[in-house]
Amino acid sequence: MFRIRSTRRAMAAAAAVLALTLSAACSAPGEDDEEAGGGSGPIKIAVVDAQSGQLSSLGKWEYKGVKLAVDEWNAKGGIDGRTIELGLFDDQGDPTIGTNLARKIDSEGYIAMLGTAESAVTIAMAPILRQAEIPNITSGQSPGLTAVKSPFLFLNGPTSTTYDESLAEYIVDQKKITKIALITNNGGYGKGEHDAFTKALAGRGLKPVADQVVTTEQKDFSAALTNIRQKKPQLIFLGAEEVESGLIVKQARDLGITVPFAGAAPQGTPVFIDTAGAANAEGTIVSSPYLSNDISEASKTFAANYQKAYGEAAELHGAKAYDGAQILLTALKNSKVATGQELADAIRAVKHDGLLGDFAFDDTGVGIFATSIGTITGGKLVAAS
Amino acid sequence: MQVFVQTLVGGISLGAIYALVAMGFSLVYRTMGLVNFAHGNVVMIGAYLASTFYLSVRLPFALAMIVAIAVTGLIGVIIERVLRPLENKDFDLMLIGTIGFGIVLDALAILIWGATGRAVPSPVRSAPLDLLGIRVRTYDLVVLAVAAAATVLLVLFLQRTKRGAAMQAVAMDHEAATAVGIHVGRSNAIAFVIGAGLAALAGGLVGPLLYVSPSMGGALGIKGFAGAILGGFGSIPGAIVGGIAIGVLDSFAAGHFQGYSELVTFIVFAVLITVRPTGIFGEKTVNRA
Repeated sequence: MFRIRSTRRAMAAAAAVLALTLSAACSAPGEDDEEAGGGSGPIKIAVVDAQSGQLSSLGKWEYKGVKLAVDEWNAKGGIDGRTIELGLFDDQGDPTIGTNLARKIDSEGYIAMLGTAESAVTIAMAPILRQAEIPNITSGQSPGLTAVKSPFLFLNGPTSTTYDESLAEYIVDQKKITKIALITNNGGYGKGEHDAFTKALAGRGLKPVADQVVTTEQKDFSAALTNIRQKKPQLIFLGAEEVESGLIVKQARDLGITVPFAGAAPQGTPVFIDTAGAANAEGTIVSSPYLSNDISEASKTFAANYQKAYGEAAELHGAKAYDGAQILLTALKNSKVATGQELADAIRAVKHDGLLGDFAFDDTGVGIFATSIGTITGGKLVAAS
Repeated sequence: MQVFVQTLVGGISLGAIYALVAMGFSLVYRTMGLVNFAHGNVVMIGAYLASTFYLSVRLPFALAMIVAIAVTGLIGVIIERVLRPLENKDFDLMLIGTIGFGIVLDALAILIWGATGRAVPSPVRSAPLDLLGIRVRTYDLVVLAVAAAATVLLVLFLQRTKRGAAMQAVAMDHEAATAVGIHVGRSNAIAFVIGAGLAALAGGLVGPLLYVSPSMGGALGIKGFAGAILGGFGSIPGAIVGGIAIGVLDSFAAGHFQGYSELVTFIVFAVLITVRPTGIFGEKTVNRA
């Protein structure tokens, strides 16, 4: 009796181990995911962005821009007769959630990804997407993205280096302002801006008179701003996202700081102007590749379509996402819906005349190398004279 | 010197908000022994309601706040009603219930108002006061005054009214309280309602200072909770002292440690709590034996 029972138990254990091994082998993630490219059925593209949390406006704009492009292509019959299907994923602005989503979109058969708009999350996802060979066109602008050196990562706009070089050129070379204070946050974007602008100033032989770093979640900036006020700068450079920089400007004006501010993409958004208060944000100098919807015929058409589809005015992030989607779809068409390295090469080869300018990707994945300067006048962003 | 005082002023204004949040935490803990993990989310709902009534319905700010407090009080009633079967029976499940309610409130906020959030202009139009080189926002003074008034009213309620005394009695011994004819469920409901009202007050006041979004409850809730514990969990004066202390600590940490301010704030908090676990004024809660 004893022996039979222990034999049965051993056999049961062996069977369990065998079953577990087999099931693990059969569902190895990322190994045998069904390829949704080069076959038939809808072309699956993932859109990953912050749809909730403080950065969610970025995610919403990006999705709207992408969807506008995809709807246009689908209305013309898709690519090779196949419809383009978008899958929307919320990364909540959190790099950890982003990495989980990277694995998820790989296992669910998405062949390309658009997003995220947050540099820190994109940098976190890059290694996984590289291993899974999923090309990614991101709206982030941190130089940290090019430092990743992934052949599958592309940017749909200029990097912080470009934004800040143009800004420094306008502020220092044209306007002759020499006493500049910096206030940046310690997130992926803020750090990128801090380094890029400091470098642009150093290239002109200047050092900032104040260099204050705040956290991304900070709500009270009295200490940093009072410090800056004492140094009496002529201008303050902002390296933080829309809401945080809006709060900084609001509190700065409350503290009696009257000098203008300067910054890159976030400072050109309506969220920044609303949070700061239009009167407080007046005179802010903005470096942006897409100053307004009236810069070209293409942008006017885009803005009209955007307004019709979503009932709100288009702006930079939607335009960037639209350009990125157009580039991806063009590459898919040129390569007859290739995937992996082939698709990445196709994207790199695309020469696109987009809303932001002419795209020509280099080895680092950056396709556009110029921005324009505008100022916030009367609550709106207009080109600088 | 100027940086020091200005930092102090900045810290006190946010500290007043943390104090209000901490009072809500402490009140519910003191009368029910329950940590209400939905409290931060109620702050967020209060902020959204107040800003909606102020911006869309165009009520005067004070009226918008009162309406927001009333509606949020109703939410407090609902939460207490749903959790009532668990009172005095399964405490841990009740705790988890409040976490669940927090998630529900979050999702509801996103459903109703969207995920993006809105900026609220300050209801006080006048420019900041300039006292000897220190700038004080007029709105901050309003916040301090309202917080002080709320505190006084709460203390008066607890000590001078019958209902307040009933709440204290339930906290001491709920069976004896029932024996004397006090309706425990109703008393707890009042505690929840006042707690929710304080949360709504904090949320409504903080809207023009910051940015109203579905994620704002998290940061405010954590700092308010830390403030309540620092001052002595369950003690009302403790909540005020603790809340303001956390606000000032945060402000000075930002000034000296810049990017590491959060780390420093919570390390100091951890050290203080290790030295004195019951907080500055000592812990005060129900006898749950």
